[in-house]
Amino acid sequence: MLRRALIASIVLSAAAASATSFAGAPLVVSVWGGNWKDTIERVVAKPYTAQTGIPVEFEVGGTLDRLAKARVAKGAPLVDVTFTTSHVARLYASDGLLEKLDLAKLPASKDLAKEAFRSEHAVGGWAYVYTIAYRADQVKTPITKWADLWRPDLKGKIAMPDFDPSHIITISALLEGGNEKTWEKGQERLRQLKPSIAAFFSTDARSQDLMKTGEAPVEVMLSINAFHLREQGVPITIVEPTDKPGILGIDVATVMAGGQKTKNAYEFVNMLLSKDVQEQLAAGFKAGPTNMKAGVPAALKGQPGVFATPAEWKERGYIIDDETRATLLPKWKEWFNANIVAR
Amino acid sequence: MRARLAGPLLLAPGLIAIVLFATALGALFRLSVLEFIPGSLRTGGVTAANFHAVLSAQYLRAIGDTALLSAATTILTLLASYPVAYALARARSGRVRSLLLGLTLAPFFTGAIVRTYAWMLVLGSSLVSWPVRLLFEPSGVLVGLVHFSMPTMILILAAALAHVDPALERAAASLGARPARVFARVTLPLSMPGVVSASLIVFAWTFSAFATPELLGGGRVKMIANVVKDLALDSFNWPGSAAFAIVALAVTLALVAGLGRLLTPRAS
Repeated sequence: MLRRALIASIVLSAAAASATSFAGAPLVVSVWGGNWKDTIERVVAKPYTAQTGIPVEFEVGGTLDRLAKARVAKGAPLVDVTFTTSHVARLYASDGLLEKLDLAKLPASKDLAKEAFRSEHAVGGWAYVYTIAYRADQVKTPITKWADLWRPDLKGKIAMPDFDPSHIITISALLEGGNEKTWEKGQERLRQLKPSIAAFFSTDARSQDLMKTGEAPVEVMLSINAFHLREQGVPITIVEPTDKPGILGIDVATVMAGGQKTKNAYEFVNMLLSKDVQEQLAAGFKAGPTNMKAGVPAALKGQPGVFATPAEWKERGYIIDDETRATLLPKWKEWFNANIVAR
Repeated sequence: MRARLAGPLLLAPGLIAIVLFATALGALFRLSVLEFIPGSLRTGGVTAANFHAVLSAQYLRAIGDTALLSAATTILTLLASYPVAYALARARSGRVRSLLLGLTLAPFFTGAIVRTYAWMLVLGSSLVSWPVRLLFEPSGVLVGLVHFSMPTMILILAAALAHVDPALERAAASLGARPARVFARVTLPLSMPGVVSASLIVFAWTFSAFATPELLGGGRVKMIANVVKDLALDSFNWPGSAAFAIVALAVTLALVAGLGRLLTPRAS
């Protein structure tokens, strides 16, 4: 009798301990490092913890490093919410890594721009553009349009991402009357840009280093990074190109499939999409909110990548079709490496 | 009974390591023969297409560039390290030896990334105005690789030189050999085992260099590891990346074996 009571009490205490520890377990959010993590932590995670009592921890890394980690942890994800780019979210989804979003659990999503619904697995958190940014102290003649990148005075001065050449490939195609689906139209134009390229970068940090040191004073750059550099005192001009729009990017929030804290993950994403948080994100990142009820600070209105109305989403940014991008990126990358990167 | 168990027990860690490496290689090989589906992380059926694709000129050029850079790094590192190793092995003053050893080991106390970023500042145009462009060029990558390899080369060479009996050099000198001849006929041949092993180590690890070409090459100098990363993490082509890694591994083994045979003096 005594033995039974002892066993029962041990089992009950173990169950209670496990329940307590699960309730206190942190929500793990996967995001890029630096300014990205800092802003998400300040604007979303802290109010979330204050509201729910659930601490938030971060897994920080590059877009594709985190994808690789998620893949090996399939079935028992190490994170609950993942921020990534919209086309990479398709890769997560293709391997069953993401929860199909139940919008009823995201009431704030009713106010989102329709462009924010990237797929049934991913919802846009903020928008930006890949555009031209340059050091005004090192480039004397102002750059105002994409076609200026081909100017002779910019020879050996430009840097661009090599991990994802989709922006410049699409722009070259657009300048030649094509688009991302008929990207071959821009190949010859892009080849002509080769002598102008000083370096390629694989990470946001490298992109910013190249601009800070002046090794590459002109960049095809993420607008959010450009604003961040400007805040650090780098004399940078961010261009709203007049010939073709910047390439619009939408970073998305996703809920990992098979996680232990799915309900909390939904609450976190819903908070991200809420009007107040979106306004703070827009001000923090200098990005466009996806919640159309969120206001944009007056100083940011009209800046590259900051869209305040549904019309601006269409007029001031070019959205590459996510599926085309995810499918063609390997081919683009191979062509780009062979024809542009190769010495 | 104990003696009987001692052999297998001593072998166990090695066998476990072999099984783990073989399993990882097996997984890599399995992935390399699965079909790549663009826009998806899923793989298709068995195919040889990945090997066909990575044997194209673009990827073979990366292997060729890697072999050239590795060979140049090995030769330059050897030339730069031998005098330092000689001084380290033969310095009479303990202080000088400690100083040389400290300077040799100093790079180990800074991470590879920190060192490479420091080289970016030196090779770039922000601090020094170079007559030719070094940063984001093979020459800049070569500088970084040589610096990265020197401590290891110096330590191996110094150990080899310490085993060369100075009495043999003195004997040669006493028989009228000039210092250059003493070095060429006595010191260098006797230190060859160290030269060979250090060269093989530097060549093999330069072959798999990643951070130095990634940062100092600015994306324009691609070595094998950079291409593997490009395929896996930028193009999401994991089967292609696995196939390229297998091809690169085979080339590395063949080159290291060939170099070992070439450099190792034959017993006649």
